[in-house]
Amino acid sequence: MATIKINDLVKKFPVGKGHFTALNGINLNFDKGEFAGLVGPSGSGKTTLLNIIGSLDTPTTGSTIVLDKSISELSNKQAAKLRNKHIGFIFQTYNLLPVYTVFENVEFSLLLQKISAFERKKAVMMALEWVGLTDKAKSKPNMLSGGESQRVAIARSMVKKPEIVLADEPTANLDSKNSHHILQTMKKLNEELNVTFLFATHDEKVMQYLNRIVSLEDGKVVSDEIKT
Amino acid sequence: MIKFIFKGILRDKSRSLLPVIVISIGVFLTVFMSGWMKGVFTDMIDMSAKFQTGHVKIMTRSYAENQNQLPNDLALLNVEEILTGLNSDYPDMEWVKRINFGGLLDVPDENGETRAQGPAAGRAVDLLSPNSTEADRMNITNSIVKGSLPGKQGEALISNDFAERFGVKPGDDITIFGSTMYGSMMFKTFKVSGTISFGSSFLDRGAIIIDISDAQLALDMEDASSEILGYFKEGTYDDMRADSVKTSFNSMYSIADDEFSPKMFKLREQNGLDDLLTRGENMSGIMVFIFVLAMSIVLWNTGLLGGLRRYSEYGVRLALGENKGHIYKTIIYEAILIGLIGSIVGTIFGLGACYYLQENGIDFSSLMKNVNMMMPPVYRAVVSPELFYIGFFPGLIAMTLGNALAGYAIYKRKTAQLFKELEV
Ligand SMILES: Nc1ncnc2c1ncn2[C@@H]1O[C@H](COP(=O)(O)OP(=O)(O)OP(=O)(O)O)[C@@H](O)[C@H]1O
Ligand SMILES: [Mg+2]
Repeated sequence: MATIKINDLVKKFPVGKGHFTALNGINLNFDKGEFAGLVGPSGSGKTTLLNIIGSLDTPTTGSTIVLDKSISELSNKQAAKLRNKHIGFIFQTYNLLPVYTVFENVEFSLLLQKISAFERKKAVMMALEWVGLTDKAKSKPNMLSGGESQRVAIARSMVKKPEIVLADEPTANLDSKNSHHILQTMKKLNEELNVTFLFATHDEKVMQYLNRIVSLEDGKVVSDEIKT
Repeated sequence: MIKFIFKGILRDKSRSLLPVIVISIGVFLTVFMSGWMKGVFTDMIDMSAKFQTGHVKIMTRSYAENQNQLPNDLALLNVEEILTGLNSDYPDMEWVKRINFGGLLDVPDENGETRAQGPAAGRAVDLLSPNSTEADRMNITNSIVKGSLPGKQGEALISNDFAERFGVKPGDDITIFGSTMYGSMMFKTFKVSGTISFGSSFLDRGAIIIDISDAQLALDMEDASSEILGYFKEGTYDDMRADSVKTSFNSMYSIADDEFSPKMFKLREQNGLDDLLTRGENMSGIMVFIFVLAMSIVLWNTGLLGGLRRYSEYGVRLALGENKGHIYKTIIYEAILIGLIGSIVGTIFGLGACYYLQENGIDFSSLMKNVNMMMPPVYRAVVSPELFYIGFFPGLIAMTLGNALAGYAIYKRKTAQLFKELEV
């Protein structure tokens, strides 16, 4: 049973009087526990596809089934709930909330769920331990390095133990040492917790770690290689 | 979640400081101006009631029409009978007779020749009966500059300005020239018992105050008076009650086509006070409205700017699984919290300022030297219960409304669109 099933997905954006086709007939399945990546030139539709899988956007035609839920049929609230419980996001620019401490940033998605303070604390500290940042719990984001910030973002996406983590260019702002560090962290979480990771990237370093590479060009899948 | 929002407000000063300051100032001004205006109007009503209009006032119909000429030939007759009736019909009010008269004040020298002369504005009130409250009511005792209250008939208080200008001292004689109720010449000499200054040029100019019995004698007004004033025993004016007393009195005693029959007027319908007070009340309303409008616009703008600045925060929160309705709700909660803080601060400062000015009025008498209206010399604010909410709720509403409006732009956007804007 695939975690993500995409059938004949087409995404068009209105541009002026007409529209621009960003995704043009995508058919893809991802299974639980995959460590896969979307690669391709800029504008090929990687982010668009991740956003649809992440229920932040909807298909124009075709279907996208994530964890047995059809993205196009979800209400706003249902989509939010799906993201809150089952999908983690990691961004190129970390996007930590500057006003809150590392602990509070990681805690946020648990605040949206009905989880006791005690349970929240336990989960947050465990997530910080996964990324090796327990000693920075009380720091503010502006006191962290780029690598540390991205590790906090990983902890934030992992704290709810999601089925899927979507990472859009997670290494683009990091140097090579930090890139390898966070990739190792994610690979470890992928193996230990059997979480599905889906990347969008141009980064060769990321590709080294992937066990499946899907290439997009002009909104179409041009190759789909599984590495062994 | 409230705690989370609260932390955000406290830590992100740029999010809270400006709105809190704007609301505090707006609420402060609203509370302060309301308390101040209320105080000014209360003082004006009070002064007018005490010196001129009473809470209600009885005159003859024709006296009322020519009031400013002090036409004592049209004065009320059978005053004692009317007073007896009033005291039994309206026992919760106090009734006093007064005579107002004009004339010339003449200061003689040792030889009895005129040394100085000036127009006199005479007031005759009950100063000598043992239970009289008039001296207190008109604050006469406290306004005496030199000498003392008249202790017996034939004594008078005169304006301190006049006394100083012409070198009149307590103990000196002065003569009043005028005309009696029946139009014949009258002159009477009084001994000055003291000099007086009310601090209001309207009241002080040429003032001479004598006991009512002296005036009745001198002006041939036995059992007559210019007017009878009625006061609620609680001391504050109540327009509804005044209205019902007036209606009942007039239906019993006032004869429509008899120009000498008594007629009662309530405070509000005398001296154009109705106009003034209505305008005052409207002004307070308009002022609050303008403050709220101005605050709302400023807060709407800060809300918009704050919203823009925090687009990426909203984007992340969407991605973390908050739905946009919930985000909109938190924006409003935040506005309510900030509105509460600002409104509380503004109300406290506003009440504080009003309280200070209630205890320590501002003396405007020097500014009102030439004002020809009866105005109290010292103005005070009044701390009234309505001050607790008059600024508070508008402040809260302005903030909430401003942000609800600003946040609605976010709420209306598609999730995907909102999220896109965070990426670049
Ligand atoms: N809301 C939108 N309206 C119009 N066009 C859009 C919109 N979103 C994306 N596009 C277009 O769709 C195409 C695919 O965009 P997308 O962001 O998915 O590319 P990408 O593969 O992630 O590129 P990059 O590697 O630069 O991040 C681009 O040409 C982009 O201009
Ligand atoms: Mg992209």
